[in-house]
Amino acid sequence: MRLPERQLAVLEAASATDERTIDEIAAETGLKPETVVGAAFDLRDEGLCSVAERTAETLDLTDEGRRYVDDGLPETRLYRAGLALDAGEAPVSMGRVIGEADLDGPEVDIALSNFARKGFGSIDSGELRVDPDADPDADPEGAALAALAAGDDPGADDAVLERLDSRGLVDRGESVTRSVTLTDDGVDALMTGVEAAEAVSELTPELLASGEWRDVEFSEYNVKADAPTTRGGRKHVLRRTADRVKDVLVGMGFQEMEGPHADSDFWINDCLFMPQDHPARTHWDRFALDVDPMDEIPEELIDRVETAHREGWGEDGDGYHSPWSEEFAREVALRGHTTSLSMRYLSGIAGADLDPPQRYFSVEKVYRNDTLDPTHLLEFFQIEGWVMAEDLSVRDLMGTFEEFYRQFGITDIRFKPHYNPYTEPSFELFGEHPETGEEIEIGNSGVFREEVTGPLGVDCDVMAWGLALERLAMLTTGAEDIRDLHGTLADIEFLRDAEVSY
Amino acid sequence: MPVVDIDTDELRGLTGRTDASDDEFKEDLFGLGLEFEGETDDGLLQFEFAPDRLDRLSVEGVARSLRYHHGDDRGVYVPETNDPEWTIEVDDSVPDERPYVTGAVIRGVDLDEGALESLIQLQEKLHATMGRGRAKGAIGIHDLAMLKGAPLQEGSEPSITYRGVEPDGDTFVPLDANDELTPAAVLDEHDTGRTYADLVADLERYPAIYDELGLFSFPPVINGKRTEVTTGSRELFVELTGTDQWTIDRMCNIVCYALSARGATIEEVKVNYADGAAAPSEYGAELVRPNLDLDEKSVGHDRIETLLGVDFEPEEVVDCFERAGLDASYTLDEDVTYEVEIPPYRVDVLHPLDLVDDVGRAYGFDELEPRYPDVGTVGGRHERSRLEDAVRTSLVGLGFEDLLNFHMTSGTENYDRMNVEPGSAAFGGGEPVEITEPYSEEYTQLRTWALPSLVLLLERNTHNAYPQDVAEVGFVAERDDSENTNVAERRHVAGAVARRDASYEAAKGRLQAVCDDFGAELATPRTEHPSFIDGRTAAVEIDGERVGVIGEVHPAVLVEHDLEVPVAAFEFDLDALR
Repeated sequence: MRLPERQLAVLEAASATDERTIDEIAAETGLKPETVVGAAFDLRDEGLCSVAERTAETLDLTDEGRRYVDDGLPETRLYRAGLALDAGEAPVSMGRVIGEADLDGPEVDIALSNFARKGFGSIDSGELRVDPDADPDADPEGAALAALAAGDDPGADDAVLERLDSRGLVDRGESVTRSVTLTDDGVDALMTGVEAAEAVSELTPELLASGEWRDVEFSEYNVKADAPTTRGGRKHVLRRTADRVKDVLVGMGFQEMEGPHADSDFWINDCLFMPQDHPARTHWDRFALDVDPMDEIPEELIDRVETAHREGWGEDGDGYHSPWSEEFAREVALRGHTTSLSMRYLSGIAGADLDPPQRYFSVEKVYRNDTLDPTHLLEFFQIEGWVMAEDLSVRDLMGTFEEFYRQFGITDIRFKPHYNPYTEPSFELFGEHPETGEEIEIGNSGVFREEVTGPLGVDCDVMAWGLALERLAMLTTGAEDIRDLHGTLADIEFLRDAEVSY
Repeated sequence: MPVVDIDTDELRGLTGRTDASDDEFKEDLFGLGLEFEGETDDGLLQFEFAPDRLDRLSVEGVARSLRYHHGDDRGVYVPETNDPEWTIEVDDSVPDERPYVTGAVIRGVDLDEGALESLIQLQEKLHATMGRGRAKGAIGIHDLAMLKGAPLQEGSEPSITYRGVEPDGDTFVPLDANDELTPAAVLDEHDTGRTYADLVADLERYPAIYDELGLFSFPPVINGKRTEVTTGSRELFVELTGTDQWTIDRMCNIVCYALSARGATIEEVKVNYADGAAAPSEYGAELVRPNLDLDEKSVGHDRIETLLGVDFEPEEVVDCFERAGLDASYTLDEDVTYEVEIPPYRVDVLHPLDLVDDVGRAYGFDELEPRYPDVGTVGGRHERSRLEDAVRTSLVGLGFEDLLNFHMTSGTENYDRMNVEPGSAAFGGGEPVEITEPYSEEYTQLRTWALPSLVLLLERNTHNAYPQDVAEVGFVAERDDSENTNVAERRHVAGAVARRDASYEAAKGRLQAVCDDFGAELATPRTEHPSFIDGRTAAVEIDGERVGVIGEVHPAVLVEHDLEVPVAAFEFDLDALR
């Protein structure tokens, strides 16, 4: 038979005839008592020994009790002081006796109440008289305390011990003593011979296959020690935020759009009723590309868009007093917003003609010629969404966006009237930062103007909104430099350590 | 967004709210959409607002809006004007590129320092916004007393002339100068001249304004010193030149309203376009300006109700219009329609919808109760979006850190440092789509492949722990004349294994796993690629098509990127997994 080393030691230290306590075995084997207990239970489970448990009452002096052993119980000191002042003959003022006994604080009350209880004398109208026949030396409470202090059996009856306990002079408790005795199987095993099993550090396939794992002991680890962190692959923190946005929008009934990053100014700006001399369309704000102009744009659509710009839309429409050229409209640039996709979908060129109701979204990249700094990127993700339906009102717009932002813990949205060339009415959306409580701009929204929807052939209402994804992600990840989040300047440790959002 | 600088003492005077605190003004103005931005060095409060209500670019306009906001004023206000005395003659020598002019005479002006500063500010702010940096419209304001009208003949009225001047022709002393300069010399030698030189430098003749004494203004660049306006000026001549008559007329109206608010009287001027000059076709050759006629538009009661989602009584709507500074009347037919009159300082009302917005603002958008629209639609992701996501999930499962790199890069990063020739047959060597006017050397083109971004990221993370296994499913583009946009846009799947034991096998094992996930057949026939080590490079062939490259990155490329560990990588077209 093979047993782990410490079980073997316990087995050898135990006897079939004498009960050996854990402490005795521990002293003999040099193992820690708790190790001996563990091994003894393992041996009992194997049927090699029995473990008996005895419960004994323990009685220990408290600090107060120990003090009285030295100084005498307060009532005894009071009695003796009384005697010394001849209070056995005539009553003496209580103050004098207390002073003589050198009692103060709570000891005074303790002395007085126990003095009377034990019949050491009487107290009347502030005067104390002692009974000269009383014998404090025969007081069982004092005797029990003295015996306990000497390590002897107090030999007192339960009522006395109870009293000492209630006076807080002793602690009564229980202790368990375990003793080990060899069983017959244990004796047999020792007779046949038991070997110590070796301790192994690793569980190997060989140990598992051979069954040897049963006989080995696994060396102990310091399980509190740090381990090197396991690095798995992780989805990019910004992608994760994008996924969450997509989940929310799909849940709200939105279909995802897609379309070109490089597009004609026609789709990027002209359809949006952005005048061609708008500051945002100047060369230093857009990324024009050195490719030929776009050939295929439906002629009829170009005509309608040009009409909207030059003459306005509808009977009372005015249009802009700005130049408009088809040549500029056909130039290809990187999109400055994904509203170009919305224009393509609303016009029907991206697929089928759409009848109301419809909801569409995208979370895609846009390009702005800006200065790269902690809060600005040249390319970033724009969340874009729109709802097309008959007779949409500003209230529907507010209700939709409240619901969207609520999903990200942003409530109490405020709608600040705003101006965009392509929507009217328009609103900037403000909300409270979920952690700092600060009021922050969280989006731009509005109802597309008829100069936008009319030329596209849409004759119902379309409300839309946009927001930079990075802005949402900076809120949810706590990133302070947008460049950590996005692009080739990213720090791989930041990506590895960024807290998962969900 | 435009910013207006406000002296709150002036605002107190102009609104009559003498007891209002700065904070009360800030709050009221926020309600109008003007957001407090900070203070100027001179203690003026700066407010930023969206560029629709350009009539609010001065303290006078802001005060007017506040008076309507508080109900101190209601309905349309049009200042009285005197009949014209002066004429602006437009000569046929005026440059075709800047054909239009307008103006007004202002009498009884009493400008203190604050009022003069406000006027100059309004002028500059209008230049920056409606005037498109003076290109579309520029304002010149002159001391009328210093002008000598040139009667064309005995007994006729005084006039000034808008005409063209040879760059090296007549001279004048511009503002902030002491010497007589030709227009060309102004562009060359004068600070303001240099700032605006681009606007006229290419013209054969420069725009110029003359009175009987000669050249006194060089629009849109600078006025002459002779007619400089001071706090002592009592009568002004306002002239505006530009490329669009409507635009300069409206800019003129905003200036006239601001001066009228300070108690001045507006006097009309005539504008006569000569036969050879390009008179504005929509208005004719003989104009009387400023044109303070009201615009009219009609809007239906229904449209107001459906767009705002509120049921109104017609009287409530009229009340809102009047509080917005508009006038409205209606007839009680089955369909109530409002005839709305719009004052001539408004430049933002292009459509009846803009009137609905005015009603909404006057009613208070804050009053509206949000509601979730009762419209059922089915949501879903786009197919490509789902595919990209599925591939990312596979890559992440293989231990790759998912990356999100910029789509814009430079030729240096995209080709040179990867040892690839632009326009070569090597994978990633396609013709770049370049940005016409790049502002940074680091971002001059779209990337043609993703691996350079990955290697660049590794270069920037050499201080971090290895292994660094990184991957990206992302956008790439190259020039392609067969596309409508002339740009072929694709998504590539790229992965790089950077670690002590990175090998061809390490990359291929991972690539194989991705292909297996998508039931795609992978083959890796030997090939050569300048970014990879010869003999350890293969083409990625998925379902029989060559769609990418895989191999151990060439030591020359690694050293170029300061990498001290081997890197094995692959990249292929996402579509191959469809």
